[in-house]
Amino acid sequence: MRFEILKEYDVIIVGGGPGGSSAAKVAAEKGLKTIFFERGRKPGEKNSSGCGLGPRLWRDFDFMKELSPEICPSMRQTTFAKNCFINKDDQLVGMVMARPTESVTYEPAKSFITMNIYRSEFDPWVADLAIRAGAELKTSTLIKGLLKEKGKVVGVIDEKGEKYKSPIVIGADGVVSMVAKEAGLRAKWGPLEVTLVPQYDFKCDRKKLDDLIRDEAVTIWWGVNFPAAYQVFFGDGFHIGLGNWMSWWDKNPLYYLNRVIGLDYFQKWIKLLDAKPREVQAHLLPWKDYPRDTFTDNVMLIGDAGGFPCPLEAEGIYPAMLTGKLAAEVAVKAISDGDTSKSALQAYEAAWQKSSVGIEFESGPELSNIWRELPFKPKETMTWFIPLYMELMGGIYDWSEPHVIRVRQIIEKIQSYMPVAIPFIMKHVMPLLAEIMGEDLQQLGLLPDMLKKLLPKPKKKR
Amino acid sequence: MKIEVKDLTERVPGTGDFIKIDQEKCTGCGRCIIICVMNLWKLRDGIAILDEDYHNKCLECASCYQVCESDAISFSYPAGGTGIIYKNG
Repeated sequence: MRFEILKEYDVIIVGGGPGGSSAAKVAAEKGLKTIFFERGRKPGEKNSSGCGLGPRLWRDFDFMKELSPEICPSMRQTTFAKNCFINKDDQLVGMVMARPTESVTYEPAKSFITMNIYRSEFDPWVADLAIRAGAELKTSTLIKGLLKEKGKVVGVIDEKGEKYKSPIVIGADGVVSMVAKEAGLRAKWGPLEVTLVPQYDFKCDRKKLDDLIRDEAVTIWWGVNFPAAYQVFFGDGFHIGLGNWMSWWDKNPLYYLNRVIGLDYFQKWIKLLDAKPREVQAHLLPWKDYPRDTFTDNVMLIGDAGGFPCPLEAEGIYPAMLTGKLAAEVAVKAISDGDTSKSALQAYEAAWQKSSVGIEFESGPELSNIWRELPFKPKETMTWFIPLYMELMGGIYDWSEPHVIRVRQIIEKIQSYMPVAIPFIMKHVMPLLAEIMGEDLQQLGLLPDMLKKLLPKPKKKR
Repeated sequence: MKIEVKDLTERVPGTGDFIKIDQEKCTGCGRCIIICVMNLWKLRDGIAILDEDYHNKCLECASCYQVCESDAISFSYPAGGTGIIYKNG
C-alpha cells in the first residue's frame, strides 16, 4: 500500500498565471497557508495569451511600480494606438493614430496605453512576489481533479494522485478550466462565449524597433477580408494575431492571419524592421457578455476561468489580477468566519460586481455585441464601415475638384451608405449609448432632441 | 511570404495522450478539421481521425475540443512540465 501524506492548506490556487499569483500573494500576505500550482516548468511558458498591461494595474496594484525593463527585457511602452484601415482590395486606405486624449483623468494613464511584455518574463515575476509573501508554488504539476467528500470540494488531486486539502479552491486555470468543470459550474463554453486566437511572434532588430516604432506600439488592422488583427510591439519583436468565434471560421485560421501578413503595407514594415517569424501560437479566449457562475461551495473562479476578459476587446490580465485579489480577500474572511459555503462566497460575486471589472460588464452585452458586429463580421460590416469612415476622415484632403464640390461628393457618398449604416447604428450603437449613459443621456446638451427620442430605454440595472 | 509553422514551435517531450476521439460519437461534421491551426485532423470513412504524431505538433489550444458539437473530442492538458513552450507568448 502506498504511504500517503495529505498536505493541508487554507487555500489552494490552481494556476500560476498573473491571476493565480495575484490571489496567492494576497492570501499569503493576509496569513493564509497558501499553495498555487503551475503546469508549466515555470509560470508563463504555457498557453498564456494577453501581453498588454494597462494603466489600471498601476493604479490598483502598488507593486507594479517596481516592474522595469531589467525584470522584463521585452517591455515596451505604448503611447500611441494606431488603426490601419484596409479595403476590400487589401489596400491601406487610411490610418488614425491617437495618444491618450485630454479626457483621461490620471497618471500613468495619461502617459501610456499599455506596457507590452512577454508573459514568459512577466508571469514568473508576479509568481515570485507571491512566493516572497509566503505562498508555496509547485511547478510542472498538472492538477487533474477536485478532491470531494460527501459531494463537497475539499481540495485537489494532481496527476500523480497526490492529494492536497483546503476549505477553499480558487480556479485560476484558464479558459479550459478543470476547476470550473469539476465544481459543476460549467462543462464547456457556449459557441458565442469563446474565440480562437492564432498569432505569430516575429523577431526584429531591437535598434530598428526603437528607431522606427518607439512608443507607437499597438496597431489594429481593420479589414474587409479578415477579422480585425492586432500587432503588439515588444523589446525585440512583435505579435500579429487575430481571432473570431469558433463557428465563424470557414478555413484554417492561419489563412486569415497570413492574409494580414501579406498586405503590402505590412510587408513594408517587415522589411524596414528586418522582421522574421519566431514562434506560432494559438489560444482560446473567453469573450463573454457577462461572467456567470463564478463561485459555488468552497470554489471561486478568477480570470479566464471565470470568463472575466473585457467584453469589448477581451484583454484579460487586469481582470485576472483584480478578480484574483478579490477572491483571496473573500477567502481570508470566509476562513476566519469558518464558513466557506456558497452563501458565504457570494461576497466574491458582490465584490467583483462592484469593482472596475464589474463596471465594465454593466454594459457587457452591448460592448461585446459591437465587437461581434463590426470587426468580427468583416465581410458584412467592414465593407461599408471602412469606406464610410474614410470619407469622413480623409475625403476632404483632396485636390481633384474645388473643395465645395468635394464636400458635396463626400456627403453624397456617405448618404449612399445610410441604408445599411442607420439600421446598424439604431440596432447596435444606440443601445450601447443608452446603456452606458442611462438617465444621464437625456440631460446631455450634446445630443439634439430628435436623436434623444430615438434612443432605446436603458435596461434595469442588475 | 510563406511561413513554415512547424519550424516555429518548441516542445518538452513526454506529454502522454491528451486528446481523444470517441468514434462512436463523431458525426464527421469536419469542424475540427477546419479549426485546427496545425492541420492535425482528417476525415477517414466519414469519421475524424487525429494525426498520430499530434504530441509533437499540437499547440494545445483545445479548439478541437471546444468546437466539437457532439462531444466526441476530449482534451486535458499534457503532463506537467511537458508539451508546447511559448518563449515569446
